[in-house]
Amino acid sequence: MCLGIPGKIQSIRDDAGLVMGVIDFGGVQRDVCLQYVADEVQVGDYVIVHVGFAITRVDEDEARRTFEVLKEMSQLDELEWMAEAAEQGMRGLEKPA
Amino acid sequence: MKYLSEYRDADIAKRLIGRIKTRATRCWTLMEVCGGQTHTIVRQGLDELLEGSVEMIHGPGCPVCVTPLEQIDKALLIAAKPNVIFTSFGDMLRVPGSDCDLQQVRARGGSVKVVYSPLDALALAQKHPDKEVVFFAVGFETTAPANAMAVFRARQLGVQNFSVLVSHVTVPPAITAILEAPDNRVQGFLAAGHVCAVMGYTEYEPIAAKYKVPIIVTGFEPVDILEGISLAVNQLEERRHEVENQYVRSVRRSGTEPARALVQQVFELANRQWRGIGEIPMSGLRLRDEFAAYDAERKFGVGGLKVTEPAACRAGDVLTGRIKPPQCAAFGTLCTPERPLGAPMVSTEGACSAYYNLAKYRTADPAGAAP
Repeated sequence: MCLGIPGKIQSIRDDAGLVMGVIDFGGVQRDVCLQYVADEVQVGDYVIVHVGFAITRVDEDEARRTFEVLKEMSQLDELEWMAEAAEQGMRGLEKPA
Repeated sequence: MKYLSEYRDADIAKRLIGRIKTRATRCWTLMEVCGGQTHTIVRQGLDELLEGSVEMIHGPGCPVCVTPLEQIDKALLIAAKPNVIFTSFGDMLRVPGSDCDLQQVRARGGSVKVVYSPLDALALAQKHPDKEVVFFAVGFETTAPANAMAVFRARQLGVQNFSVLVSHVTVPPAITAILEAPDNRVQGFLAAGHVCAVMGYTEYEPIAAKYKVPIIVTGFEPVDILEGISLAVNQLEERRHEVENQYVRSVRRSGTEPARALVQQVFELANRQWRGIGEIPMSGLRLRDEFAAYDAERKFGVGGLKVTEPAACRAGDVLTGRIKPPQCAAFGTLCTPERPLGAPMVSTEGACSAYYNLAKYRTADPAGAAP
């Protein structure tokens, strides 16, 4: 839960005063809170996401490389939680377009 | 799974290893704080590659592993209540409490749900106004901004059937506690990159100065770690003790300020128990009084629960670097990822799990072991 997963911002919206967005994690899309990085990101940027919150911006090459490394090191637990949360019928995991 | 030799930047890694070995005039003892770093070091065999120049001690940086038994037992008590939906990050479900774990509570009919984000738990509370939704708010400074926001949002939206069981810990007091221990052997630290991405690293500067230890803010990929080790060894050889940032691509000195600000608005510093280690003064976070209505311990009256930890599991010795996991008598026999005695065997960030997976791999395919 400390590693964070890089993903690409697909869209940004205001959700009753909270900046939210849809992020693509290697084909898996879900809602992420962008409030903490709202001043420095736009659609198309890459961010590191911890438990549903973007914490810091990264450049594209770095994001791609990090995602591959995480995959190789079997450190993508958070994507599994997303899947489990989705199976339980919760919001958040949408099928890739 | 790739090994070091297969990484695109294997040449850089080899050069760094060469540089560390040339530079080290003696064997230095370093501690990596982050569980993700432990995972990389053990899986890539970095500790073996550096043998004789650097000994890596694996620190207490696995949030699941340091959550005290007491908090797990409180979670189990709350989760078993009839009107409660208990929500948690996925890797807390199999952490053993005194009698059972959250997965078993679920099997017995308790409502336990895995969420990806604490905001999912809040949404669940809005969807089920007749239920009490409780979120197990664990973790270091990387999850604190998310958990702080869930509480802040609950108050903003007037959601009253939502509360959090807080078990937050912070890294700098743990580093201080390790340095204060009379039998401490650690001469330098690799600080956790993403914790510093949130909090920045100014808190580490007085620690480096007071205890005369290099502290290197380090990422979690093999080359990051080797670079962090190399910077630490340079400092030790030159008798310097500074905070240095290896993970420049993600970490600024002041961190992510809006996240820090909300954490400080919702939480305050408090004494915290660390599993296997004991209480470390001002090493954790608790809700400020103005957010007391969202404190699950108060709501469900479990705040007074005190539990003694079992002796068979030597998690505390592992988490403070006194032993390596295979030195524990229960490792791989009484305690496996399938039937864990302690949390370090449960989480993929736990040192015991990292060693166990490596050992298993070697048994299955010795020819492919790490170089």
